[in-house]
Amino acid sequence: MSADAVVIGSGVDELVAAHYLARRGMRVRLVRSAAVPVQHAGWIPPWVARDLGLESHGLKITRSDPWAVAPLSGGGRLELSHDIARTAAAIRSLSARDAAKWPAFCERMHAIAGVLEHLYSALPPDPLTHELSGYMALARTALRVRGLGRRGIEDLLRVLPMSIADLLDDWFESDALKGVLGAAGVMHLCQGPRSGGTAFNFLHHHVGSPPGVFRQPQSNLHAVLSALPGIEPVDAEVVHIAVQQGRATGVVLSNGDAIAASVVVSGAHPQRALLELIDPGWLDPELVRAVRNIRSRGVVTQLTLALDRDPGFTRLVVAPSLDYLEHAYDAAKYRQISAAPYLEACHIEPVRDGRHEVRVHVQYTPCTLADATWDTEQAGRLARRVVSRLADDVAGFASSVVEQHMLTPHDFQHVYGCPQGQTRHAEIALDQMLWMRPVPELARYRTPIAGFYLCGPAMHPGGGILAAAGAHAARTVLDDIKTRKA
Amino acid sequence: MSTTYDAVIVGGGHNGLVCAAYIARGGKRVLVLERRELVGGAAVSEEIFPGFRFSELSYVVSLLRPEIIRDLELPRHGLHILPLESTVTPLPNGDYLGQWRDHDQNRRELARHSLRDAEAYDELGRLMYKMARAVKPFLAMTPPDPASLAPGDLAGLARLGSYLRSLGAEQFHALHKLLTMSSADYLDEWFETEALKATKSASGIIGTFLGPRSPGTAYVLLHHYMGEIDGVFRAWGFAKGGNGSVSDAIAAAACAHGAEIRTSAPVERVLIKGGRATGVVLENGDEIRAKRVVSGADPRRTFMQLVGAEHLPSDFVAAIERFRFRGSSGKVNLALSALPDFTCLPGNGPHLRGAISISPSVDYLERAYDDAKYGEVSRHPYMDIVIPSMIDPSMAPPGQHVMSIFVQYVPYKVSGGWTDAKREAFGDTVIDTLARYAPNIRPAILHRQVVTPADIERIVGLSEGNIFQGELALEQMFFQRPVPGWAQYRTPIGGLYQCGSGTHPGGGVMGASGRNAALTLLRDGT
Repeated sequence: MSADAVVIGSGVDELVAAHYLARRGMRVRLVRSAAVPVQHAGWIPPWVARDLGLESHGLKITRSDPWAVAPLSGGGRLELSHDIARTAAAIRSLSARDAAKWPAFCERMHAIAGVLEHLYSALPPDPLTHELSGYMALARTALRVRGLGRRGIEDLLRVLPMSIADLLDDWFESDALKGVLGAAGVMHLCQGPRSGGTAFNFLHHHVGSPPGVFRQPQSNLHAVLSALPGIEPVDAEVVHIAVQQGRATGVVLSNGDAIAASVVVSGAHPQRALLELIDPGWLDPELVRAVRNIRSRGVVTQLTLALDRDPGFTRLVVAPSLDYLEHAYDAAKYRQISAAPYLEACHIEPVRDGRHEVRVHVQYTPCTLADATWDTEQAGRLARRVVSRLADDVAGFASSVVEQHMLTPHDFQHVYGCPQGQTRHAEIALDQMLWMRPVPELARYRTPIAGFYLCGPAMHPGGGILAAAGAHAARTVLDDIKTRKA
Repeated sequence: MSTTYDAVIVGGGHNGLVCAAYIARGGKRVLVLERRELVGGAAVSEEIFPGFRFSELSYVVSLLRPEIIRDLELPRHGLHILPLESTVTPLPNGDYLGQWRDHDQNRRELARHSLRDAEAYDELGRLMYKMARAVKPFLAMTPPDPASLAPGDLAGLARLGSYLRSLGAEQFHALHKLLTMSSADYLDEWFETEALKATKSASGIIGTFLGPRSPGTAYVLLHHYMGEIDGVFRAWGFAKGGNGSVSDAIAAAACAHGAEIRTSAPVERVLIKGGRATGVVLENGDEIRAKRVVSGADPRRTFMQLVGAEHLPSDFVAAIERFRFRGSSGKVNLALSALPDFTCLPGNGPHLRGAISISPSVDYLERAYDDAKYGEVSRHPYMDIVIPSMIDPSMAPPGQHVMSIFVQYVPYKVSGGWTDAKREAFGDTVIDTLARYAPNIRPAILHRQVVTPADIERIVGLSEGNIFQGELALEQMFFQRPVPGWAQYRTPIGGLYQCGSGTHPGGGVMGASGRNAALTLLRDGT
């Protein structure tokens, strides 16, 4: 078998990369692994949808409104909606001061996230560039930042390294509000709300959302991409990437077949792509060490529930205060499951056959436990605890569950190949973003092996931003072909 | 009062004194006003118990800028720094981890714990040496204002950018990592010995209210390698006579250049007329006129108390209000009748001439932080212990000793507020922790002084007892220290300057803030 390009993996980024290459007339084979974690949530840059014509293929992006419903300790719920005025009115019952600040907070966070959106829509900037195009990109970014004005620039520089707790304490006093917002700062991170850099994670997850909406949309992107014609899927596992004289020449499959291709693109975690699929002899030991040091601590368990009735919420957030989140994190530091985890239960549309699907984000559940293992019993105990915690806030919830399916970080690691169960591959942290993602030597999608490229959540702009890494990687491939590097 | 000074300096801490010395050296008439009866601020030596002299608060030197030592000829004015030879971390299992000044001895000791770490130690040392050199120019730099379009600021930014690019990929990326990572994660990339990681990452949490696993703590690691005495990188030392003698030497240099210093002269407020500072009013009602006023007090005290919010733009006031202090450390000073006998290294030995660090593992430090997060003193705190009388016998009566214990975390906002009982309980916690490693300590204690962040605030005037006049977190550094747009030592009040650690480059008895402020003031002319 042969092809112009082989793409390994069938996550969103790999599919996008494959289709970008196929659209340029390349013959692309996509090696689909049996198990792919489906990414439902995340922002899809509109230009990707446009480039691939996804809307005409049925792409549906849904944003729950209210985007968060938080049960209040004294009874009642705090509902945060798309409409800023309505949300302010809801907050007023907790704190008039916070309600008054809400519109300004939304506007200022949105302005800073706009800079990230700008950065995420292009290849990562390279501050050490010596190329004209690199200088141009830096200049564009500098102008974009300048455009924020003094207050915006000051916000940007101040907020990025901060802890989400410090940021929210600057603005608000209501525990319930700070809990819901703070949760977005720690989402998918092995950090607590008082850890530095969590304000950045908060902004990362705000990119692409309208002002005042601090949760990402859901979509059927993966299904749409999977059904898109134009590439040749192969159902197998890649066991090896063939390299000759420093160039990728194709892949070898688990069934013994080989596919020859001068371009190979992988969406796997760099630790798998470079340290397992490639003979490590090809790599500089410094790079091997840097790749081993990519931080990928998974802390999220995903529990999918099928209910026989409407749960009566769009997205229920159990994170009643920053201290609650911090306590939940404390356990993870010592490799234990949070006794009172942060939960986010999202009601998935559309409803099928009268069954309502609820996907629950459970944090913190470390991949490696200090004095336990992730066996069925452990997982079952956690699932029961989560359901019973949700039932505290939603009457009749427990009895409405007809089916459940749980993925722990252990599953993400062993079934889906995410080292340490981190589905973002490389944690979203300031030292692993932009030109540092996942490590500086790999930040531009190329590897030291000519013709071998990386896409996937470990690459700029990173997990939570869907499809962009795949598109950027494909562009890099096409550029290299044009300049005959590939 | 009829005399008019060119500059009056509020606060005779080391930065105020450095600032005064440089201004006087520039030929100006300058007066330093100190609230207490002695100069030095947090860098003072006091005979707290008869015969026992203590560096009451700040207790080691390393970051004092060499250009200041040279410019002010401090050795001629009595500065004498004695090297600290080692850091020993006792371990719960009765063993210890030593880090020694002697390279071969250090390598042998590390290899005893991990051969890999012994290799990595030198490699990290080399990188840090390069990084410390790379960062050095920033310390003496007046930060440009990133939001300004003024030619000076744009040129400053351009210089900064081209300097960063000139570092090359290896150092540029290493700097990025140091600025954004947690010290625990950073050290995880290098070492496997828990005690080594913990002892090194402890230097990243000092003066912050963060745990070693929180991003933003790695940068301060670099400070540990930046220690520079007589041009030798990586040397930490102890000032003969205690840290007060650093202040005394600077004060003597300032006086030699013609500066006046008045102690027991608390300033009540800065005189402001038509948006300009014209002098200060003392608590006793005296008015002192000056063309320039420089405050060495921290930003909150300077602006909210000495100036008053009514004289300032509301955005600026809001920024000062959110500038974070959150003191997180305390001191316990002991007068001892005998040396401590550490189980891991019994008897008198070279380890007693260096630092003893109670930091057995990163988890230990994290748990210490956990207590503080929720408003309690760490039940098992991080402690950095030195016995100054081992290096400078004049600190204590013959045969007896003084011990200085730096303790973290000790939150300023402790649940229920600080009381005498709480202070003593905190002291007991420290002694209990120490006794676990040196069981003979209790009977050897003749006197003990316990200093909480609330005490630091009361005695020296540092808001919330933060030893750096504001947390050294990335969002409070460089052009954001203390307020974006006002990081160049000037203030919204004409003729009023800041020279304390609350300005770039921050705390650590560096003196750089004082020097940079003085140079800015002299450049502005009178």
